[in-house]
This record gives sequence, structure tokens and C-alpha cells, in this order.
Amino acid sequence: MKKKTVTKKHAARRSRKQPRTKARSPRGPKLHGLSDIRRFFHRNTDPIFFISATNFNLLGIDEWVRNFWYINYIDCFDGQHPNVFIPREAPHRPFTSIEDINNYLLSHKEVIDFIKSKGGKPKAVFLMFDEETERLCRELGIEICFPTAAMRTEVDDKISTNRIAQRADVPCVPYVLAKAESYQDLRRVSKRLGNDLVVQTAFGDSGHTTFFISKERDWKKYEEEIVNAGELKIMKRIRCRGSALEACVTKHGTIVGPLMTELVGFKELTPYRGGWCGNEVFAGAFDKRIRESARQSAVKFGNELRRMGYRGYVELDFLTDLDNGKVYLGEVNPRITGASSMTNLAAFAHADAPLFLFHLLEWMGVNYELDVDALNSRWADPENIDTWSQLVIKFTDDHVQHVTAAPRSGIWELNRDGTATYVRMQTHRRTVQYENRAFFLRITAPGDYFYEGADLGILVSPGRFMTSNHRLNQRAKKWISAIRAHYAGADINPAAAAQAMEQVEVGGFKLS
Amino acid sequence: MHRPPPPSISSVTFRAVRECGVARQLAPLFAEFWQGYRAWFLRQGDQARPTYAESRRILRHHMPELLPIYDELVEAVGGGDVQARMLSLYRPTPYLSGCSQAVLLHGEPVLVRNYDYRPELCEGLLLHTHWAGRRVMAMSDCLWGVLDGVNDAGLAVALSFGGRPVVGDGFGVPLVLRYILQTCASVAAAVKVLCRVPIHMAYNITLLDARGEYRTVQVAPDRPPTITKSPVATNHQGTGDWPRYALVTSSEEREQYLLQCVADPAESAEQLEHRFLEPPLYSHNYHRGWGTLYTAAYRPGVGSVRLRWPTQQWDTSLGEFQEQSSRVEFGG
Repeated sequence: MKKKTVTKKHAARRSRKQPRTKARSPRGPKLHGLSDIRRFFHRNTDPIFFISATNFNLLGIDEWVRNFWYINYIDCFDGQHPNVFIPREAPHRPFTSIEDINNYLLSHKEVIDFIKSKGGKPKAVFLMFDEETERLCRELGIEICFPTAAMRTEVDDKISTNRIAQRADVPCVPYVLAKAESYQDLRRVSKRLGNDLVVQTAFGDSGHTTFFISKERDWKKYEEEIVNAGELKIMKRIRCRGSALEACVTKHGTIVGPLMTELVGFKELTPYRGGWCGNEVFAGAFDKRIRESARQSAVKFGNELRRMGYRGYVELDFLTDLDNGKVYLGEVNPRITGASSMTNLAAFAHADAPLFLFHLLEWMGVNYELDVDALNSRWADPENIDTWSQLVIKFTDDHVQHVTAAPRSGIWELNRDGTATYVRMQTHRRTVQYENRAFFLRITAPGDYFYEGADLGILVSPGRFMTSNHRLNQRAKKWISAIRAHYAGADINPAAAAQAMEQVEVGGFKLS
Repeated sequence: MHRPPPPSISSVTFRAVRECGVARQLAPLFAEFWQGYRAWFLRQGDQARPTYAESRRILRHHMPELLPIYDELVEAVGGGDVQARMLSLYRPTPYLSGCSQAVLLHGEPVLVRNYDYRPELCEGLLLHTHWAGRRVMAMSDCLWGVLDGVNDAGLAVALSFGGRPVVGDGFGVPLVLRYILQTCASVAAAVKVLCRVPIHMAYNITLLDARGEYRTVQVAPDRPPTITKSPVATNHQGTGDWPRYALVTSSEEREQYLLQCVADPAESAEQLEHRFLEPPLYSHNYHRGWGTLYTAAYRPGVGSVRLRWPTQQWDTSLGEFQEQSSRVEFGG
């Protein structure tokens, strides 16, 4: 008889070294439809941890999923949130990324003890994570409910996105993929795209690896970076408006959330010209043609991702060409985002289930059936879309101050005289009913520092925050002013300011 | 290592403590020392020290036998993150001390040493433990680390700073000496540990066992250990690359003096111990950080230690450990 060359123990040890690359195969009794699915989560026994700087991206999910815990670095709720765990002893240190914060939390004894105290087979979700996060989770026996770093990298890659879109027959901004060693090279490969070009390299935030090139001097400024980057995505520069939607790739099809507007670059909210500073969800946000076009592209792209083995949450940016009305796929983010609490707390999410629950279903290996087409149809019906907006408020001045006062997280009311009053503590925005009320999530607290670009907090309210001309409306400006009035700071001397800046988290927390 | 500074004169209260469990006596001592430990640990900032997960992982990798004691000790003193990281002694905040140590084999093998440091940074704790079936009696550092000590398998150890400013990846040496006393019964076994476990700064470690085997091992994070048959160690390694430190601590003079003493066939253990109480071995440089705080003489064959100061001494052993306490004054 042939001797087994690989023992069970050896195979188990080997498999422990590699993170799981695919969502678990379905097991257990089958869930039939949404009622079963909701009940499954209300009775969930395995602890699920959302580990991040704050719980902003998945606000409210703890009320849908039993045994769902937030492990955060910043205490937005002053100890009042029943399901948030913050390590008590965390001496201040500078972080360079969200991954850095997550790895710090997973290395902290109080967090490790908290996770172990919940028992069961722990699972974790993150906004962003890397190989070190995967290692730390492996050591703690935590299953990460997201595709591996390798799979996400493939989807996140700006150039790879276009290849996936091509296979899925999803239109992108007219482009060519090529290398360019010189300005002449660039012009030669991009002849059909016209004079004004946008050149992107594979990775990095759009602001840092996107180059606008119309003349040779533009090329000369960035020549070395572009030539060294290898393969480029060279696009026709178009006049466009951005929008975003979130989707979930499941074995039964791709579930699509509503298309949201983006607030970008408002000086009252952000010091960064192209900086994202909010979203709106409302029925008339886009005409039916644009909505449908984006929805169909999302389904096709999602189905191609499914074919590649991807499962779960994904965010897609769409760009509407203002000159010809075409809708193109922009960036794809294989993760939850700063718009996720908009998608997950909407009325349709409340009537069916938040989109994120379907992500968990896939990654927890649950056996379920679901009519995705019917769900998508309901979620696409304007009758089912209630109007909500969020503002991401950053500190826009360029001086540094010590924070001495800050508004608390919870429900606020905007008074007729333009002031705002704290109503009560709340952990999400779902119960806010009127446009003169809002849910505020405080990020910067007393003891922190004001500095240019610091995230002060997020304000969420029913109704719109932009006019039909995509300008900030009066209600938004009143709210910003009213909430900012509850912040106060003390001047500090230049040496202390310099030291404070060393300690402050670099680049702010990337909430999107 | 750290305690709140004494009110007016430099003094250390030396205590001989028998730990009956893991941390029954140690936990209140840790609470007393914690303010000082914490300040030292965070002196370069929290981010300069490794995380709990990394510290425990590296401890498990290099000294797995210590892990159960470590986990229990950490919970007993409060279970906090900073406490746990500090007690792992992995990549600790750098610190300097200065010492002399020598082995004499005429009669009962004895390892004699002076520990030279700042009074306010000395725990003054002679700790008797019985962890994992092994009895150890040692002068402690960072609660469960060892500056010098002996075990019931007949092995004695002592450390002295190696006089080189290099700092690298590795453990604080007191924890490695604890590991050696917990797991080794001979000089040969101890040498293997010193060749395997990384240590974060430069030290000269003298080992003596009941059979009369001895070695001095020079360790440093930037080069492989040098194993010598020298019965003596002070505060330099080879020609040294910190000549100013060697000069101000008279390291080479002390080494030469000790080599002459132990080479003399007429030198008795009593005479050798006495030499440690006088210059050039006894240092009064308390304000500069290397004043002599105690003299210890270990006899691994009988498991005993004699702690000596200019005006008093303690004699005790593994088998008949006596708890006691004395306040000793320095400087003036």
C-alpha cells in the first residue's frame, strides 16, 4: 500500500501558514430569504470584530449582528457606546497608515485579551489591511472576512481595473495601456485620445500618482516618476462629475446599492482641492439613464469579479462625461469605504438588510438562497430611496492648536439662530428624522491637536447638502458653522507645535 | 531597576525575599517599582519599544520555557500592555552600568562580583524562586531578570557591561541570565544559550559551575559571541571601541588587578572577596552612575551567596534561605 506522504498534521500546519484565499464553502442548514438571513445574524454566536481607527465605516451594524464588536483607537463616544472597545493604556504614537493602526491594535495586549475573552471562532473585518495584519490574525486564530491582500491588490490596481472592465464589457474613460519613455512616445501611443491627457500609474492615492499632461513641459515636470512607473494608464481628459456606489459580490449575483453623489473640494470642509468631503443619497441624484448605466456596469463588473474568485464588498466610482453624457467606470476599491454607513443605514437597508450583511454571509460560509434580482429591483426603485447626506469636516486652517473643547458624538439640533444644541447620545444616524437634526461622529477630541487637514468629525442628516449646481447649500454651511462653534483650541508655542506635528497621525485618517 | 528616589541621602534598602508562588511576593514589589519602570520603558517614546504581540512571539521563539512563567507573572502584576512589554525585556530601553567579576578555584569554586550602578536605580532585591521545578537565588533586575545568581543545579552567573555603545535587536541580558539559571545545569549548556539567544547590548558574562568549569562570554548584538577561558571580566571587550568609557571606569586597570589576584596561588576566597570592598575594585562614583552597590560571592557547589557591604554582610543559601532586609547608605 502506498504510504501517505503528507500527514493530516502536516497539511494543517501548511494550511495555517497561508491565509484563506476563497470564501468558505457553504455549510449548515440553508437560510431561505431575508427573514432567515436577518434571524441568523440576530442569533450569531461567533464574535466578529471591526478593527479600525474608529467605527465610522460600519456604524449601526452592531444592532443587526449579535456579537459584533468594534475595536478602535479613537474613542468617539467617550465610553458610552456599548459595543466599542478601546485599549485604556495606549500612549500616543504616530501612525503612518490605517494598516499601521490596525496592526498596532492587534498587537496590543488589552485588545488580544478582549478578543480571547469573547471565545468562539473569532472573525475580523478591516477598512484596510496588509500581510502583517494577516500574520497577526493567524497567530490569534482570527479569520479575516475579506479577500487576501493579493486578491485585493489585483482589483485595486488602476491598470488591472481596466483589464477587468474590458473583460466585463464595462466602459471606462477612453484609454490606452502602454509604457512611455519620452513625451514623443506618450503622444504616439495616445494619438486617438486627444491633446489633454490624464496619466496614471498602478498604485497610490489618485492625488499622488495622477498626472495631467497637455504640453511637453507638463511631461518634463514628472518625467522621471512616469518613466520609472512602468506600464501606464493613459486616459483622455474629460470634464466629468464623480459618483460612487457600493456593491456586494455574492454566489447568487451582485447586489448593488444606490448611486451617490460626491462632495469634493469645498473650502468649508477640506483644505485639499480634490479632497473628498462627503456624499448624498437621494432618489433624483441622477437621471434614470445614468443610474441604470451605473447599475448595469456594477452588475457586470461584479460578475466578472465573481468569476475571478472575489467575494464580498466592493466600491465603484463612476464618472459622467459632462460633454457627452456617457457613464464610465473610474476607480474600484475592494473594501468598505467612507460611504459605507450611507449605504448600510438607508431605509431600504433597514427594510431588507444592510449590504454589509451579505458580505458577512459570503465570508462566514453560510448556506443561503436569495433572489438577488428582486433585491436589486427594490433597491433601484426611487420610491425606496430616502434622502441622506454626510459631511466630512476637516480643519481647514494652517495653524496648529491644542484642542480644548469639541462637540460630543450623538444627535444634534440646528437652532433658528444658527447655533447647534446637543440632544442626546446615539450610536448612528438612523433615528434622526428631520433636516434640522443630524448625527455627529466626533473624531478630534479635547487633548488632540488642530492642524491643517485634521478630521474633526462627520455630520449626517436627512436631506441634501448640495444645490442642483453641486455647490454646498445654505443648510450645509449653517451646520458646519454651528458644529465648528463647539470646537475650541489654545495656542501653543512654535516648538510645541512642531513636536505636536511629529506626534500627529500622518495624513489624517483615510476615512474613504 | 527603577524605584522612586530616596528622600535625602543615597541609600538602597536591600531585601531578601522568598517567592513562594509565581508572584505572590513579587506583585506588591512590582507595584512599588512600576512608576520608575514605566518611565524608563517609555523614555524613548512608546513607538520605540516593540509591541506586546511581537515581544511575546520573540520570547516564545528564543526562550519558550519561560513563557508560562511570563504569562502568569504578567497577569499577577496587572496584565497591562506596557507592563507585559516591559517584563518581556525584548529590545528594552538602553542603559549602562559598570561591574567587576572574578572566579577563584582554590578550594570551593567561587564567583565574586561587584555591581556598580546608581543607587536610585537598584532594586536591591535578592530573590529566591522555585519556578518550573528549579530553585534560583539571584539579585534581580526588572523584577524577574538576573544580574547575578545561582541555581540548584550548581550553576552561577554574573554579568558586567561590555563597554561598547552598540544597541541592537535582542533581549535585555538579565532575562537571558534568568533563562540560563532556569534551564541550564552546566557552563557548557549556558554557553550554548548565549550563542543562540540575541542580547541587545554588549555584556561580559562569567559562568561558573559546581565542577569548577568556568567561562567568560563576551556578547554583543553586532557580532558573534567570543567565548574565553578568562576567570575575570570588567567593562570592555577586546581593545574596546569606547576608550573614553574604559578610561573613566578604569576598566583595564581593574581587569589587570583581578587577573593578578586570581593567578596568585596563595590568594584565598576570603582575601579575594575582601579586595572587592576596596579600590581599585570598589568604586565611589555614585554620581556618575557606577558606584559599587554590593559585592556578591556565589558558591555554586553549595548553592550559597554572601552579600557584602563595607559595614555588613548577609550569608544565605538556596536550601536555607533567610528573608531579611537592610538599609545601606552610599555616597557622602
